[in-house]
Amino acid sequence: MAGPLEQFEIHSKVPIEVAGYDISITNSAISLAIALVILMVFMLGGMRKAALVPGRWQSSVEMCYEFIAKMLGDTAGHEARQFFPFVFTLFMFILTANLMGMVPWLHLFTVTSHIAVTFALAFFIFIGVTILGFIKHGIGFLKFFVPGDAPLALLPLLVIIEIVSYLSRPISLSVRLFANMVAGHTMLQVFGGFVVSLAAAGGIFALGSVLPFAFIVALTGLELLVACLQAYVFAVLTCIYLNDALHMH
Amino acid sequence: MPQLDPAVFLPQIFWLIVVFAALYIFIARNAAPKIADVLKKRQDRIADDLTAAEQLQAKAEEARIAFEKAQADARNNAASIVLSKRDEIKADTEAALQKLSEELNAKIDEAQKRIDEAKSKALSDVRDVATDVCSEIVSQISGLNLDKKSIEKVVKAKTDAAMKGDA
Repeated sequence: MAGPLEQFEIHSKVPIEVAGYDISITNSAISLAIALVILMVFMLGGMRKAALVPGRWQSSVEMCYEFIAKMLGDTAGHEARQFFPFVFTLFMFILTANLMGMVPWLHLFTVTSHIAVTFALAFFIFIGVTILGFIKHGIGFLKFFVPGDAPLALLPLLVIIEIVSYLSRPISLSVRLFANMVAGHTMLQVFGGFVVSLAAAGGIFALGSVLPFAFIVALTGLELLVACLQAYVFAVLTCIYLNDALHMH
Repeated sequence: MPQLDPAVFLPQIFWLIVVFAALYIFIARNAAPKIADVLKKRQDRIADDLTAAEQLQAKAEEARIAFEKAQADARNNAASIVLSKRDEIKADTEAALQKLSEELNAKIDEAQKRIDEAKSKALSDVRDVATDVCSEIVSQISGLNLDKKSIEKVVKAKTDAAMKGDA
């Protein structure tokens, strides 16, 4: 019986080592590649006709595009248009990775359940928007950490709080996604274990296995929602950070 | 927790960068422009159709105004024709009436003249009769044969007075 955390283990499939660094093709890397293929097929397939009146597939692609375009425009304004491909890529990538982990039987590895992946994304965004802020406002971007209408006596404290909250952005952004994915998948695994153990126990216990099974069904629905929601949260927070860097609050 | 094993960080991050970069390039170069193009084309088409519809509506409005103007013109024209015809008929009628009344007046004058003639003739006849009757009465009663002229004179004076009294 597999433990609930076993599903997150990384297995090296093709060991590769370059200059002493391990860049082996793992189950995670395979999952990443599958996500890439799924997204390319989704978009190329949807837009192959590029019809004036879209079909279902094309409509889905356009809906994703317009959803992110609207979100970016609403939160970060017109200036953020140039970052649309990045936010769109980010959202579609996280959404696909999250949903891939929810497919039963296939045992696709959920790449977003690893803090290394979510933190790498969040850190890249953090560094990116910080550089953007300094490019846009020069050294004046530091004023971002000084609240405008605060009393002078409190100012040092508030500046420290602002800086700490700014620095904790990549941590909160990455841990939120990572923890949501791990919690959901662990719960599903734990209740799946209950079903198996109760069924194996036989007799009256076998009947009892219906309860955790029903719970798994409900939880799967919830986890599908969480998968979409966390992708959205990640993308919308990226937009908010972009807005901060572009417009300083 | 397998996620916290530092040994698995590097391969994951490496492949994440590779895959994410590939995906970004694909979306930025290929998918996003294609989708944007289709959306723009659709929006342009809708805008064009709306403009065309607006133009057609404006044309319809123009046609309506022209029609209404034509209708109003025709109505005014008809009214002026009716008015002028009425005046004409009125003038004709008046002329005819004038002519008729002139003719009637002439006839009345003529008739009056005839009446006057008849009246004076009748009067002179009455005088002659009165003179004869008078001379007869005088000759019968008094046996005098009076001069006819003096009787005539008296009768004339009497009849004139009577005529005056009548008048």
